[in-house]
Amino acid sequence: MNSDEFRRSLVAWLDDNDAPLRLTGGQPPSVTPDLDDELAQFRHVKQALFDAGWGRYGWAPEVGGLGGSPMFRAIVGEEIASRDLAEPGLWSMIEVLAPTVIAFGSPELIATMVPPLLRGDETWCQGFSEPSTGSDLASLTCKATKVDGGFRVSGQKVWTSYAQVAQRCILLTRTGEPGSAHRGITALFVDMDSPGLTFRPIEIQSGALEFCEVFYDDVFVPESRLLGSVGQGWQVAMDILPYERSTSFWHRGAFLHHRMDQMVAAAAAHDGQVNDHEAHVLGEAYQAVMAFRCRSLHTQHRVSDGEQLGAETSVDKILTAIAEQTLFDAARDVLPGVLEFGTDADAARWRREFMYSRAATIYGGTSEIQRNIVARRLLNMGVEA
Amino acid sequence: MIERDELALLATSFAGAIAQATSPQAADAELYELGWADLLGMAPRQGAGAAFAVLGTTGSPIGLLDDVVAHSLGLSASPAMCVVMPQPNSTAPAGTMAGTGVAVDGLISARRSTAELALVPVLHNGTISIVAVAMSSLEANAHFAIDPSAPFVRVTAESAAIVDRVEVTNDWPMVVANAQAALAHQLIAASREMLEMARQHAVDRVQFGRAIASFQAVRHKLAEVFVATEGSAAVANSYVDGECDPMIAMLAKSLAGKAARLACANCQQVLAGIGFTTDHAFHLTMKRTMVLDTIFGSSRTLPADIGRALVATGHAPRLVEL
Repeated sequence: MNSDEFRRSLVAWLDDNDAPLRLTGGQPPSVTPDLDDELAQFRHVKQALFDAGWGRYGWAPEVGGLGGSPMFRAIVGEEIASRDLAEPGLWSMIEVLAPTVIAFGSPELIATMVPPLLRGDETWCQGFSEPSTGSDLASLTCKATKVDGGFRVSGQKVWTSYAQVAQRCILLTRTGEPGSAHRGITALFVDMDSPGLTFRPIEIQSGALEFCEVFYDDVFVPESRLLGSVGQGWQVAMDILPYERSTSFWHRGAFLHHRMDQMVAAAAAHDGQVNDHEAHVLGEAYQAVMAFRCRSLHTQHRVSDGEQLGAETSVDKILTAIAEQTLFDAARDVLPGVLEFGTDADAARWRREFMYSRAATIYGGTSEIQRNIVARRLLNMGVEA
Repeated sequence: MIERDELALLATSFAGAIAQATSPQAADAELYELGWADLLGMAPRQGAGAAFAVLGTTGSPIGLLDDVVAHSLGLSASPAMCVVMPQPNSTAPAGTMAGTGVAVDGLISARRSTAELALVPVLHNGTISIVAVAMSSLEANAHFAIDPSAPFVRVTAESAAIVDRVEVTNDWPMVVANAQAALAHQLIAASREMLEMARQHAVDRVQFGRAIASFQAVRHKLAEVFVATEGSAAVANSYVDGECDPMIAMLAKSLAGKAARLACANCQQVLAGIGFTTDHAFHLTMKRTMVLDTIFGSSRTLPADIGRALVATGHAPRLVEL
């Protein structure tokens, strides 16, 4: 099956099943959706896609998949985003974390853990950042000590998305000496109900409780939950990048494209007239979204052809941030007063997503870090002083 | 379609011919010898993409845009083909009917010096027709143009006598799109040239005992140019690779012009004193991109055109698919 046929069949299925795929049954969404509602909707869609087979394409048979190119996953993500069927952040987590566990987990771990994730039965989170470890990830201090049958973990993580609803966490710990930098890091796969593990949600400026602080107080993690080997954690972390920047980015781009489409439709609804400034702002937003889409398309093809992704995906990362912020900046101008004063669910969503878009140049490696990589690796400007 | 390595080989031979030619006219003729017209006939978008990248890299002022426009209209390319391009920042035909003649306000390429006739696209009663006028009936002034090699100059005529009418097969939006895509490739290549000049300077230039390339402020300026250029190239390449929706070409031209403006500003800043002089080649490429940005819509005018086109349909199409 080629990607065109796949998309056509998927779209036909989604069109036939639109109402049953929505837990609200087609009712307008709430003005203040909470994470429980979003999670319920997300799981509902994942389960339906898995049961119908769509959610299994592009995944290996060992994890309950039907095989085929990861491109199929990208297409499913795109069509789901284009229908607002699932909260995009929840969706992206799977595309980022499942391939990492598949690459570094033991065969038993993979066979047990990944299928429930793909079916939507579970949610996972990623425990990387710490209060004193943001861009400088290699300085992390959350300590794992080898004990009989496993590890004991003590320390603190922060910015852990969805920790409060997750069953598992991919956790980066320090197993080497303090100061061993990227050499002394080990990745563990942790049950979120482990004794000694507590969390506190953090409210972000959009009003959402997406992130948590997570505290590890002598948490036991069995040996079987090691990802890769002891000291290989940096490689695990670096390996996440290509996944994040292929199917997951395509999904993000599709989400932005859908909002672009809605913004144009809203602008056209005002008797089809826009002033020069509004027209310009719409054009700027669309070209930023399309620059990212065309770049990301090229990257998807490279992945599909078996190429290894590297530093050049820093360009994709910067372009997605530009697209996201240009788009939501445009919404302020093209939908006058909607973000600031609107009271309906639509306005609330533009407001939430505008606020969230401010982080596009921060999360997943800041734009400054990406420019450092571009200068060093792609422009050959030597090391920074 | 033509194989990528074959295309690359052809581009290399184009660049070689341009480097060795004694005049733009000689380079123009040499490209025909090397098969430029056949390439345009066989793979118009790919061929134009490759050839215009060569123009951007070499800085050659030759009039290949005339051929792209002519070919898009269904006419055959030749070194004698000279078409009047739209006014600066506009995509509208340069001609309007004025009594029995044609009023002209547009831009004309370096072929003005050898061609006897100029073809003028004219919008009349909602349709495009092409008329030929004597080159001598157009008033051109190259003396004060910004780009010293004057690849394009402004031409006007209150009412030029029509010496011929030319039957064309294609419609204007496709002509505009093909020209925009070709110019996008030229702008992108020129931006990359500026970036390389600034990058090399940053690596070589030592201040405070270290290469200025080691300062983050310098690195980030050039990284921004790289990202903007790559983003516009991705869109321009989508047009080459099979998507011939005119919207893609318009996006490519707008983004490439925007990237070029950023390249002009940031590379100039990094090149600092030396880049401000005519001892350094930077100013030539900068001036060229300023000219190219104005042709068939600029990065300041096209976004509003794009926005209006979207609002007219009520949608933001995906245009390219996995």
